[in-house]
Amino acid sequence: MRRYDLITPEGTRDFLFEECALKRIVETRTREIFKSMGYTRVITPALEFLDVFRINSGYFSQEELCKLTDNKGRLIAVRPDSTTPIARVVATRLKDAKLPLRLYYTQPVYHFAPSLKGKSTEINQTGIELIGSNSRMADIEVISVAFSVLTTVVQNAPMNLKVNYSLELGDIRIFRELMHKLNATPAQKEEIHSLIESKNYPALNDFLDTLGDNKITRSLRKLPTLFGGEEVFERASNVFQDERIQEILDNMKALYHTVCAINTEGKVTVDLGLVNKTDYYTGLVIKGYLEGYGEEVISGGRYDKLLDEFGYDVPAVGMAVNVDAVANVIGKKYTPVQTPADVLIVAENGCEVQAVKTAELLREKGLCVEHFLDSENAEQYAQDRGIRKMILISKDSEKEVTVNG
Amino acid sequence: MDKPLRIALTKGRLEKDTVQLLEGLGYDCTAVHEKGRKLILPVPDAHMEVVLAKAADVITYVEHGVCDMGVVGKDTLMEMNGKLFELVNLGFGKCKFALATKKDYPFYDGFGVKTIASKYPNVTRAFFENKGMDVDIVKIEGSVELAPLLGLADGIVDIVETGTTLKENGLAVVEDVAQVSARLIVNTVSLKLRQQEIEAFVKKVEDYIND
Repeated sequence: MRRYDLITPEGTRDFLFEECALKRIVETRTREIFKSMGYTRVITPALEFLDVFRINSGYFSQEELCKLTDNKGRLIAVRPDSTTPIARVVATRLKDAKLPLRLYYTQPVYHFAPSLKGKSTEINQTGIELIGSNSRMADIEVISVAFSVLTTVVQNAPMNLKVNYSLELGDIRIFRELMHKLNATPAQKEEIHSLIESKNYPALNDFLDTLGDNKITRSLRKLPTLFGGEEVFERASNVFQDERIQEILDNMKALYHTVCAINTEGKVTVDLGLVNKTDYYTGLVIKGYLEGYGEEVISGGRYDKLLDEFGYDVPAVGMAVNVDAVANVIGKKYTPVQTPADVLIVAENGCEVQAVKTAELLREKGLCVEHFLDSENAEQYAQDRGIRKMILISKDSEKEVTVNG
Repeated sequence: MDKPLRIALTKGRLEKDTVQLLEGLGYDCTAVHEKGRKLILPVPDAHMEVVLAKAADVITYVEHGVCDMGVVGKDTLMEMNGKLFELVNLGFGKCKFALATKKDYPFYDGFGVKTIASKYPNVTRAFFENKGMDVDIVKIEGSVELAPLLGLADGIVDIVETGTTLKENGLAVVEDVAQVSARLIVNTVSLKLRQQEIEAFVKKVEDYIND
């Protein structure tokens, strides 16, 4: 029988040294932003009952879910997402907690990726959930956090990368409103959904031709083209001419201006055709892009109905950062320095107690201290690893030696 | 200065038409004509680079964002099903996917599960799934027309341009599956980060093909 004991499954990998350090940088910096804004960490299990992810609004396809069975034969999913489990926790154990709740997480999610496409099955994510408020300020808070991640995490020292980035806002309700009014079968609506998602203008036009020419089909044709800067709002008003949609647009425009005023340096864009299929979002949608990575690195939005599916009807908004993607972008231009130990302790046989005690004293001063494990060639060992100082310990003396590079 | 805009072109069947299109838009394609063994070719005065690749690879490169745009046939797009924007139907490279069998073969008769040979298993699966029909699919790499002649399959799903190959081998189209032509595809992030450049290019392409 073939044994697979030396490799990892497709879509997973080991992270060593620099790669690991890059991930830590991204995680630590985002965590500091989250903490400074009053968010508290939660950890949910990697394994959940499959039912948690088969609710109406958070749709995960059979193919992408990693499934197991528990010892009673019940179906278990390895979490494909952290927002749904957190919604479950809040709707159950935190039902009596004071609102709003500010929670953050740093944990991997799992999706089976199509084979041989260079995509990961295991994706490290960190993100926030702001639960219990549908105020404008809540939206602004989450957008600001997303902006801080794009600016302080990637752009600040020591990396100081000049990477183009942008944050994009959308609102799923415009699409839903149009679809609600459209006279078509569910299968036809499904087709229109995927054509708008992929901005497939030619096919969308052909398809809508078969549904007749009216206000709704004309609006749907234009929807995926409505992206860019501030001018989008004016173009959209001309296209839709609908009271309900105009109200959504006005709110979005105000939000857009607020976000631009807060983040004067950053680039904010709008895409009214952001209609990802697997989303549980009910309003605002957020995407963050970094030059050098082919997919979004930040993804989020408002999900006011998700908690209700677990029996607790409160609004919420949140966003997640793809840590691996951000680390990948940073790693193209910046290699974290692996610092050697400050001191190498070289002790004679029988001097172990003194060696450990001396090392502890030095560590209390904040130094990194290694013990030499062999009996010969300590200087060579220090030179090879770039350690600049040795302390030689024998029964009656303790001597400090500087190592020449 | 930003990196040059990188466009991946499909080698072979679509190459000539695509280069003709680029030249029609006023781009200098000398480097593409005299490519030798080079794979990344500059387009002078346009801040653009051309990459030549096989159709499936064009999609992979654009999906990962290492190329911003690509020109590729709808046939490969249907088979690969990537996450990207498909902005323009370029109109050339026209052909169709069709279901073909030996001439006068009663394909839809009987209750047995049919066997289909194809280079495009995903397209085949989607087509029969829509019909609610269970079929066995056999992946064939070379001339698919052989499979029904040798008795391996009841039918084939393949690209049909003129139908001559089918005819010469005693096969005939039973049903069209989908129309195919070349498409301009764009990476989802590139379109947002380099919107002006890409939209200007797309506008030029649309104006040219509509003329």
